[in-house]
Amino acid sequence: MSNAAVTISGMNKYYGSFHALKNINLTVQKGERIVICGPSGSGKSTLIRCINKLEEHQQGSINVLGTELDDNVGNIDQIRREVGMVFQHFNLFPHLTVLENCTLSPMLARKMPQDEAENMAMTYLERVRIPEQAEKFPGELSGGQQQRVAIARALCMKPEVLLFDEPTSALDPEMISEVLEVMVSLAKDGMTMLCVTHEMGFARQVADRVIFMDQGEIVEQAAPEEFFGAPKNERTQNFLNQILSH
Amino acid sequence: MTDQIAVFIPPHSNIAQRLRKRFFSSAMNSVITIIVGLFLAWAVWNVFNWAILNAVWASPDGTSKVCHGIEGACWAVIDVRWRLIIFGLFPFEEQWRSTFACIVIVMVAIMSCVPFFWKPMRLGPLWVVGFAIFYTLMAGGVFGLSYVGPADWGGLTLTVFVYAAGVLIGMPTAIALALLRRSELPVIAKTTGAIIDAVRSLPLVSILFTAALILPFVLPGFLVGDKIWRVIIGFALFFAAYQAEIIRSGIQALPSGQEEAAKALGLTYWQRINRIILPQAFRNALPPTINQFVITFKETSLIVIIGFFEVLASGNAAFGSGEWSHAWVEVYCFVAMIYFVFVFSLSRYGAYLERHLRVGQH
Amino acid sequence: MTALLQSRKFRNTALQAGYLGFFLFLLIAAIVIGKHNLESQGITMGFAFLERATGFDVGFSLIEFGPYDTFGKMIVVGLLNTMFLGILGIALANIIGLIIALFRISNNGILNAIGTLYIETFRNIPLILQAFFWYAVLTHLPHPKQAVNILDSIYFSARGLYFPGLNVTGGAASLFFLALAIGLIIMIWFSIARRFNKIPKTTKSRIRMSIFGIAFLIGCIALVIGRIPETPLVSVPVLKGFNIREGIRISPELGALGIAMGIYGGAFLAEIMRAGFLSVGKGQVEAARSLGLSPWYVFSRVHLPLAFRAVLPTLINQYVWLFKATTLGIVVGFTDFFMVISVSINQAGQTLELIGILMLGFLVMNNTISFVLNRVNKAIALKGTQLRT
Repeated sequence: MSNAAVTISGMNKYYGSFHALKNINLTVQKGERIVICGPSGSGKSTLIRCINKLEEHQQGSINVLGTELDDNVGNIDQIRREVGMVFQHFNLFPHLTVLENCTLSPMLARKMPQDEAENMAMTYLERVRIPEQAEKFPGELSGGQQQRVAIARALCMKPEVLLFDEPTSALDPEMISEVLEVMVSLAKDGMTMLCVTHEMGFARQVADRVIFMDQGEIVEQAAPEEFFGAPKNERTQNFLNQILSH
Repeated sequence: MTDQIAVFIPPHSNIAQRLRKRFFSSAMNSVITIIVGLFLAWAVWNVFNWAILNAVWASPDGTSKVCHGIEGACWAVIDVRWRLIIFGLFPFEEQWRSTFACIVIVMVAIMSCVPFFWKPMRLGPLWVVGFAIFYTLMAGGVFGLSYVGPADWGGLTLTVFVYAAGVLIGMPTAIALALLRRSELPVIAKTTGAIIDAVRSLPLVSILFTAALILPFVLPGFLVGDKIWRVIIGFALFFAAYQAEIIRSGIQALPSGQEEAAKALGLTYWQRINRIILPQAFRNALPPTINQFVITFKETSLIVIIGFFEVLASGNAAFGSGEWSHAWVEVYCFVAMIYFVFVFSLSRYGAYLERHLRVGQH
Repeated sequence: MTALLQSRKFRNTALQAGYLGFFLFLLIAAIVIGKHNLESQGITMGFAFLERATGFDVGFSLIEFGPYDTFGKMIVVGLLNTMFLGILGIALANIIGLIIALFRISNNGILNAIGTLYIETFRNIPLILQAFFWYAVLTHLPHPKQAVNILDSIYFSARGLYFPGLNVTGGAASLFFLALAIGLIIMIWFSIARRFNKIPKTTKSRIRMSIFGIAFLIGCIALVIGRIPETPLVSVPVLKGFNIREGIRISPELGALGIAMGIYGGAFLAEIMRAGFLSVGKGQVEAARSLGLSPWYVFSRVHLPLAFRAVLPTLINQYVWLFKATTLGIVVGFTDFFMVISVSINQAGQTLELIGILMLGFLVMNNTISFVLNRVNKAIALKGTQLRT
């Protein structure tokens, strides 16, 4: 058993005739924290959505935690239980309370008893520092609080890998930091993370590797010091100039 | 024309001011108010005279003699024939069963309006049990009740029966159709779509007609069954085709992130549908769903066309025989009142829910 | 083998084939069993019966029809009657609906009350009950001799409602309306089709007027040709003996259905139109007023067109629904498409063929209505998104 959490090799994805992802090769080790950045439409979200098969790839292979994402029906739900995801727009279930949001999947997909699931959910809600909101509905919370609930909900499945799809870009500026703090503390605990984000400060602080994507390709990947200090590719330089200039 | 568009009335103006604004805001407005008001008063007075003041309410001897030469309504026809209208030809001494059966269904319907029951695991059993009690009471054959076949049911009870059975069968069918139409598999989605669209563009009368008279020709003998059940199936299918589109639009109104989040949590297809998609879709689709219930209730009256003795037919029969033939207006008013009570209360409830849900949206 | 069953592609293909196959099987089984059952009754499948004479008359027909005419022609008669009743009912419903909608949005309390009363009463009583009621009303009108007489030219009697009309054949009258309808459709198409966008506005409206003129002219020619010889052009109903002759007779059947559809449909259309008027942003109306437009222009050029756009999709559904309601003809004995089919099933026994014709007929008619109106809707829909407050 290798130590790789995610192995992607020679992967291509098309939307009809549009070539969305071009020959992606990427290996993520267990415990590794990766930040993916790039201009909008570069395919970074599509890439991480392929890892839990919210999007289907057409060529190449994706191996997650030793399971091949192929045509086999049984694999998909299996993988999704081990891979958590946090969305840009939180996607909390508005008809369920915060606590029910967190316990739903452990109880249904993992057959966990209700009290056990609730205890665990409360632990994670404390971890994201909003246990007092457990009985409220998502619509009654602020954006930052909702996103923290979404993180707790993902953690309740005790995932091996956590995917973040621009978790802070739908938030008001004053709420970004509370979400980032939670993410930093997760990173320190050794969670395997793939993060699509424009928060370069976060990337500097926690990333083991920063990946720059453009037009469906991985253009450059390097450790943060190297990536921010001496980007090799011209496109990376342009992007960093734009994003850091203000 | 445009100055007739409703003007904003400040909430704290006094009553006199408000009345003036509503009725006498301009010369034109005052003229309309006076002329139309006079006409309205005249019409209301005449109706009141006819329906209440000059009406005959009862016929002590059960004949229509009391109504000869009166100027008002002859409500005596209802007094004499109400059993026929409500119960049809159900055996006289068993009509208490019919009464209880109707009360059970109405109770179940009222209970369904309470949010406590808005869960599939509560609403489903509630209706199945309620319907079973209804059917047992009506058909009998057990618990010492004599057997009365559906062929002898009639009047309002038959209407309620066909309606309840149709909706009960139609609802799960509608959910299935809606989900099938949203299938990722193109052939399944398109086939289902074609079936739904075809049923929707056909008149209900033609579907009922086919179910009652044509199906026996094209079914193998053991599937033919009773006419009333074939008609109920046809009725349910028609309801389901419309309701499926309502549910589908409720599902489509959900942000795509909901399904994605459920997928990302590793929930299976049925878990996603049951716990995430349908509860929210039904909440979105509640007002049109109630509207559909209302329309369907009114459409139940169409079974008179294929020869069922439901409330409209029993109403026709109530004045059809010679001696009461002058009392058709009264009978139609009575039947209309029955429908009105059901339909109006249901649609008011729908309007209340719509307001309530909009405010209480989490 | 398990690998094959677990494969999504295989499973998907199998599921889809099975699903489609299931329905095809149902259809084929139904036809085979039906054919067998009918043959055992001595009825052979086929459409030859359409050529046979019916041997009976129909109550109301726009074209000449007698007992010696064929089943095929009778079905055409039914189709025409359905379309005639549908158009009549929808037109009445639109007029009533618009009036009631204006009542409801007016700021006069009494008009509001009448509008609300109207809607709550007639919307909550089944259409079929209303059809029964109006049929009873019309057949309880006085006999022709005591008919309600308005200006010696309009008579209301139990035998029907009589209006002055033209002495032309029914076919010619149908042609007249057909010409107008086609002219109208061409006009709409001309106004909204993109390919005519380049034509300047004044020329466009002139061309529109001439299209309508030509259609009207063709219609009039049809009327002149279809004139019944040796009669005056205008025919006024008169009482002769025990009956009323001449003029246009609206039978109680047609009248009851038309009134019921108009009143019931009007209640629904009024609510839809009201919602449309209310959906027009206050800002739009205020902007129009502040440009100094007269109230009529504000209403006809800004308020009405915007409201119409907002509700057209809902209106389309309602029209299709009302059109289907013509099948109630059978309860009062109006020979609409459905009644003609069910009578033919009784007479000719060609059950499957006739049901097939019935379903096909309604599929074609309803899909035509929604197709045409949806095209109109698409063409006039507001492009892009904009703030509408």
